[in-house]
Amino acid sequence: MVVPVQYYLALSVALFALGVIGVLIRRNALVIYMCIEMMLNAVNLAFIGFADYFKAVDGQMFVFFVLTVAAAEVAVGLALIVAIFRNRGDVYVDNLNILKW
Amino acid sequence: MVFSDPILLGCLLTVFLPLSAFALIMIFTRDNPKLSLAISLVAATIPLIIAWTFFFKLGGRAPIIYNFDWMVSDLVKVPFGFLLDPTSLVMFVIVATISWLVQVYSIGYMAGDPGFGRYYADLSLFALAMLTLVISSGLLQLYIAWELVGLASYLLIGFWYEKFSASEAGKKAFVVTRFGDIGFFMGLVFLVIFYGSLDIATVNSAAVANSMPPWLITTSGLLIFCGVMGKSAQFPLHVWLPDAMEGPTPVSALLHSATMVAAGVFLMTRIFPFFAASATTMTVILAISTLTLILSSTIALAATDIKQVWAYSTVSQLGFMAMGLAAAALASGTLFAGYYHLTTHAAFKALLFLCSGVFIHHFGTNDFFTMATQGGRKLVIPMACITIAALALAGIFPFAGFFSKELILTALAHLDNKLWLVLGLFGAFLTAYYSFRVIFVMLFPKSPEAYSKVPGHIAHVEDEAHGHGAHGHADDAHGHGHDEHHGVPWVMIFPLLVLASFTLILGFCQDYLEKLLLGASHPHAMNYFLLVAAVGCALSGIALAWLDWGRKDAKCVGFISRFPALQTFFIQKWYMDHFWRWFLNRFIYGIFSKWFTYNDRRVVDGGVDAVAFSTVGSGRLLSFIQTAFLQYNLLFMVVVLAGVGIYLMMGR
Repeated sequence: MVVPVQYYLALSVALFALGVIGVLIRRNALVIYMCIEMMLNAVNLAFIGFADYFKAVDGQMFVFFVLTVAAAEVAVGLALIVAIFRNRGDVYVDNLNILKW
Repeated sequence: MVFSDPILLGCLLTVFLPLSAFALIMIFTRDNPKLSLAISLVAATIPLIIAWTFFFKLGGRAPIIYNFDWMVSDLVKVPFGFLLDPTSLVMFVIVATISWLVQVYSIGYMAGDPGFGRYYADLSLFALAMLTLVISSGLLQLYIAWELVGLASYLLIGFWYEKFSASEAGKKAFVVTRFGDIGFFMGLVFLVIFYGSLDIATVNSAAVANSMPPWLITTSGLLIFCGVMGKSAQFPLHVWLPDAMEGPTPVSALLHSATMVAAGVFLMTRIFPFFAASATTMTVILAISTLTLILSSTIALAATDIKQVWAYSTVSQLGFMAMGLAAAALASGTLFAGYYHLTTHAAFKALLFLCSGVFIHHFGTNDFFTMATQGGRKLVIPMACITIAALALAGIFPFAGFFSKELILTALAHLDNKLWLVLGLFGAFLTAYYSFRVIFVMLFPKSPEAYSKVPGHIAHVEDEAHGHGAHGHADDAHGHGHDEHHGVPWVMIFPLLVLASFTLILGFCQDYLEKLLLGASHPHAMNYFLLVAAVGCALSGIALAWLDWGRKDAKCVGFISRFPALQTFFIQKWYMDHFWRWFLNRFIYGIFSKWFTYNDRRVVDGGVDAVAFSTVGSGRLLSFIQTAFLQYNLLFMVVVLAGVGIYLMMGR
């Protein structure tokens, strides 16, 4: 069974759009974070689809890189979020407004 | 490469030894007089040996040029190197010798001075700069060394910087010479732009006349002469030299009479063919130098400070050299007359200053009337030497000055307009008068009351105070208290004897030097009329000095006191200092400084302030759109990125 590339792309775009909307409208830093991960995975999906379509392994290779970077990013990002929580008691981005001068 | 070539090694040693001596003394041994002296003397002795070796080994050979590329661009190549030809070799020997003698002399003169180490460091700096100037192969390198000797001069004039007048004099010397150097630099820029080379050998070649129109040669020649005017103290920039006498007397001997001020004349000989290419330049130079000769000789005959007399004498003799060069150029002669006078003048004028230094050191005053009444003639050797030097200055056979003056007067006689010759002879007359005014006063002192009518001379009682006020440093430093009439140390006598013998010998080296400099010695057609006229002028000057100052019942006021207006005019130094003060106040401070200050406050400062205020203001304005709400920023980012993406896709 061959899945057409359009399907991959459509799903990827949908996932990406959901991720962007989530990043823009959610207030909880942890959820924003998960949305970012969703965007990354949407990109991964597009890579896979193109790799299948072009019958080349480059796309699959990139997915591994993206996964690695995402894992590292998760480690750092979660640590930051935990630190913010310990410091302030919550992780709602509305309240992170001390950058205002 | 350096070590296989002894000549190049010699050149490099000449430059780098004094440089390292300066650095070593300034950084490490400034507080240790003995060690500083040793370092400085070593760094002066080796160049001296090198100079004389070069002089005898390379004298008759073709010019030796070392050129290293320093700056290279499309149009211009600026070399850095050494040029050893007869012209530079002679000056090399003069500078190295007098520099060494003065360093030896200063052991005695500066003994016990708290700034002893600094003094020798500055002398080394001067040696570095002056030797580089002399043997440099390009005009830009020469210019750099030229500025460095100016710096050394500034440091040494203001050596006793606690004294207000000394630091002021240093500043004046620096600023006035710089004023001329602006012209010099513009002249160099003209040369670079229109000729494309600053190499001395190429500037001197005939190619200049082919690649530059005459008016440009004249302009750049005159601009370069501005530098000569500053450095060699020609009218109207001569005003700094008499003030420079605030420095220690050995410094006056080295820098402000024998070598540094002669650098201007040396520059003229250095690029003599270039200068000679424009008759207009040479006529202007002739006029200025003649005016300088007359002006400074007349001032010298009213001065009462022995160093002032010799200072104005230096100015006048420099003018005389420039006259010789200009006249030779106009009558298609050679540079020999002027250059020869430079050589002999270096010997006898350094001698005059060093002798005066002995008296100043001994009596703690600069006023030669006071020296005379306190028994100056008892110092037999300095008195004999100063008399020899004055005879040479006046141009009496067989002393060196006689021969060189004769040559310059011959060059003047070749001009069509005999006015220059007459003025030159008049200058020779005045020179003989003022130098023998000093000598006769010193040799045949009258009672102190006899000098009370001399304008400018301060009577005996106040003299002590005067001496302490103006030269308190000498008393403090040398501790006159413990031994009022200490003998003159041999380190101060020895240079006098060496210079005196040069003064005696140099006159008979004329043919040798001429052959060296020009390649061939021209037999001189003796112009007996000129000979008689020159010696007559000198002798009548001396005779008048005898009548005025020497004989037993002399009136001791000078013939010039018959013309009170003139006398005041000369005592006020032709009002040149007043003129410059007025000029400074009226134009520099009144116009330029005012407008530049205004420009600085309003345009420069205002501009900087405006940039700062507008940055802060726009920051304040833009800060309103910063809500600290993270997701607005993110939204903006997404929209922009989407926009860019869409634009790129549409662009395809």
